[in-house]
Amino acid sequence: MTGKVEVTLNNFFIFNSTYGNNEGEEKNKILFYHPNTDHLDTQIKNVGLAEAIIQFTASFKPDGPIKSVHTLKRRQMYFQPEPNFWVVMTLNLPFIRKIKEGSEIIEYTEEDVQDNVYESVLKQAYHMYRLFSGTFVQAIEKTSLDILKTKLEQFFTSYFTTLKLHHCDIVNIFNGIQCLPLDKQTFLNVQCFINAMECNFPIIKHTAFLYNDHMIWSGIEPSNMQIVYQYLIKTLLPAHLGSELLCGSMPRNQPSPFAALHHGRFITGPENLKASTSIGKIPRVHLYSDTDCTIYHLVVYRALSASVCLFIEEKEELDMKIFKELDDFIGPALTVIVSDIAEYCTKQVVTPSSQSETNPKFIYFNKMNLAYKSSVHLDNKQTGNIAVTKECLKLISDINANKDLLEYAGEVIVKTMNDYWVVGKMSNLREFYVALQQKNASLIEISDEVKKLCDTELKGIFFHSL
Amino acid sequence: MSCTEVNPGASVESVLVTTDSCENFEQMSSSLEEIKNYVGKSPEVSDSSTSVDNLEESNSLNAVGSDDDYIRSKDWLEKKKHIFVLSSAGKPIYSRYGIEDKLVTMFGVMQALVSFVQDQNDTINCIHAGSTKYVFLNKNHLILVAISKTEESVPQLVSQLNYVFNQIASILTLTRLNKIYEQRRNYDLRRLLSGVERIIDHLLNFYEIEPALTLGAVQCLSLPPSIRDTISSAITQACSKIKNLVFAILLANNKLITLVRMKKYAIHPADLHLIFNLVQASESFKTVESWTPLCLPRFDASGFLYGHVSYLAEDCQACLLLLTVERDVFFTLSEAKHKIVEKMRRANCLEAINESLNSTDGTCLNAGFPELRHYIYKSKSTAQFHQPEISAPYINNTERLLMLYKRAHRRLHSVGRPLKLLFERSPQEAVLAWDTRGFELYVILEPLIETSAAIASVGKLLNWIKKREDKLFHLNAPTF
Repeated sequence: MTGKVEVTLNNFFIFNSTYGNNEGEEKNKILFYHPNTDHLDTQIKNVGLAEAIIQFTASFKPDGPIKSVHTLKRRQMYFQPEPNFWVVMTLNLPFIRKIKEGSEIIEYTEEDVQDNVYESVLKQAYHMYRLFSGTFVQAIEKTSLDILKTKLEQFFTSYFTTLKLHHCDIVNIFNGIQCLPLDKQTFLNVQCFINAMECNFPIIKHTAFLYNDHMIWSGIEPSNMQIVYQYLIKTLLPAHLGSELLCGSMPRNQPSPFAALHHGRFITGPENLKASTSIGKIPRVHLYSDTDCTIYHLVVYRALSASVCLFIEEKEELDMKIFKELDDFIGPALTVIVSDIAEYCTKQVVTPSSQSETNPKFIYFNKMNLAYKSSVHLDNKQTGNIAVTKECLKLISDINANKDLLEYAGEVIVKTMNDYWVVGKMSNLREFYVALQQKNASLIEISDEVKKLCDTELKGIFFHSL
Repeated sequence: MSCTEVNPGASVESVLVTTDSCENFEQMSSSLEEIKNYVGKSPEVSDSSTSVDNLEESNSLNAVGSDDDYIRSKDWLEKKKHIFVLSSAGKPIYSRYGIEDKLVTMFGVMQALVSFVQDQNDTINCIHAGSTKYVFLNKNHLILVAISKTEESVPQLVSQLNYVFNQIASILTLTRLNKIYEQRRNYDLRRLLSGVERIIDHLLNFYEIEPALTLGAVQCLSLPPSIRDTISSAITQACSKIKNLVFAILLANNKLITLVRMKKYAIHPADLHLIFNLVQASESFKTVESWTPLCLPRFDASGFLYGHVSYLAEDCQACLLLLTVERDVFFTLSEAKHKIVEKMRRANCLEAINESLNSTDGTCLNAGFPELRHYIYKSKSTAQFHQPEISAPYINNTERLLMLYKRAHRRLHSVGRPLKLLFERSPQEAVLAWDTRGFELYVILEPLIETSAAIASVGKLLNWIKKREDKLFHLNAPTF
């Protein structure tokens, strides 16, 4: 049999190196181990090896923590999120089966697995856990080690079934937020609506406003929003999209007939305000500042394509009454705003001709505000729906991995063996990547093409003109 | 860029085996047996395999305790690049810095890591922590480890470890190395390698300061083509009647002057680098005519060649190596050498060599390329490269210049995603790296240069080199 096998998860474990240091108690180091089908001896051995590697590398005083171990068949990623706690993920490298002189040989394609991509995947897994369950230390202090183990088991077992490892790419490194630029008037309408709502309902500490997968406003720290955003667009909203489609989509160009109507409902909270007796399941999220951690109820209200996320402090009691009041306030107001946004967006829609296949595809990311924009990815689902070759995407990650060498500003143009061109431009904390499929182009033409694209797509964004 | 037709320094036949620098290091190009058979001799000259039984058991190590303080010393930890060699049983063989005996624990840990991963039917290749890289190379009986805080990539570090391994094989032959460990796994190899540490040290420094090893190519001493031909024919004439002479190599100042070879055989750049390094690291060659056994691992790792090594004359510091498969022809070769020198002297070749050694190749500016700061041109078909003299702003920072080349080389030759072209601008400089079928070109330019101006200069540069190719490169591949 010949063919290519993609990257898969070999194991994933969390341990504390200060636990179980007595002979025979090594199993106590392990807080979580996936897959649990691995024999306990194997688990202990793998954790032991990881510990040995951590100690060995540290003895040479490297300038940063251990990131990865490369072997012929596997890749192991390391992350120490809290003192003495280690999260380790082992991947089976993708490989190609070939028949050579009658016998089967296996060729591991090590270079297809990029450290910077999977480092981000690992960190994101921890941060997602922390969003809902708090830090490991918190859990042990507040409850017990056994409860922490149960929490880890519950969270990570299902987390890994949703992870599409072989579609991870540069997007995971940025972990950015797609923003929706609006005209002044519409943006002010959103702003007014949020201010009025926060005034009327003082229990709402922060608000975030999304239109489809795009963020219009967020009142929480970007580092927190980054994780909440991932949760919203990858997990929560897609789950509710199906039911929404049944209600019919919104006719965009007619003058809004919905002004008096009211299309909204709670995605987290009571399912049906008239019939439900309980307020339903509301996720609690942990938001972090430099010094402390606050827990909020995350109430998400959705009308047509807009989602309003309300962060309400944990100590507030939520009951049906408050949800009814919220619905009465948000529902009608939101419906009007959404129709304005929809109208504005319709005007902005680019004609299909400008999106043809040979057009340059780009990714923009600003680390300052985490804003991100991509015409390389055709959706946010990370299912491999991309407009360029996988090789181009990997080259973009390569350029990203080398960007520190350019210092504050720089430009990289590369031509691949298949005559694709990939361009990266960096300026302070902004990064802009372009993939071009122009086989016979020259370096000069490519450089001009990218200049043009910068002018049209990144109006008003400054890049050092080196 | 469409000036690929200009392909300076290209040649149909090459004195060097031309392959990429990062390929399988175990592949050999030739066989000594074949050479001996070819000239109709029985293959009785086998390697001088010392019976391992004669060597007493090593147990001196037990006396030296591990010394943790030593490993923790700031000075030792701050070294940019550690290189360790140990046997697969964990016995220390070489450490670039410090005394191996004080690092016994460290060697033990490294051996344990390697064998633990091996138990899982896997092989450990490298570890990344911060920007530090820990690279492991597992050979049959030896483990080589690099711990590097430099910017060099993993493949570049692996290539250095391969050089170290080849250096060891070059002293012992691979066959003997294997035999030793098959007979006694716990053998302390250091007893056979005394004095070799210095050569390995030198080799590692050599890799760090010379682009040649990264590029897998050698630089030639620039000489008028007529002079180079005269030298080659002086060697050919003097040696034509000597049986079993495989290579005659004349070099000076780490540059190749000429290489005459037996028909059908070529030398691999990696082997030639070992020879360059040996010559440079051995002061004694300067004073005495020497006779030295030498295994060229890429040529034939199983046996020795024997080398007559001497400098041409007091007044010309070029070193001549005559390599043969015969182990007892010192006097024949010594006589040949004198003939060669005589002929060269009569034809004024010694002066020409001295003149070239004393002058410089000129900077980019001298050559009329003010916008270029430096470049390296490698002709692939001959595995030779040319670079101008280093000029501002790198005169006092050659390290940065070399790092720029290593960076560009690494990205052009990335294992998974090789590139045809790389153009990179940073606030410091612009770098253009270009890999075509015939050559590799690395150019460092002023950072603010227009892309079109950069392309124009590169085209001009290629033509400039083309005009001088027979001076800058060794284009004929003379045979005995």
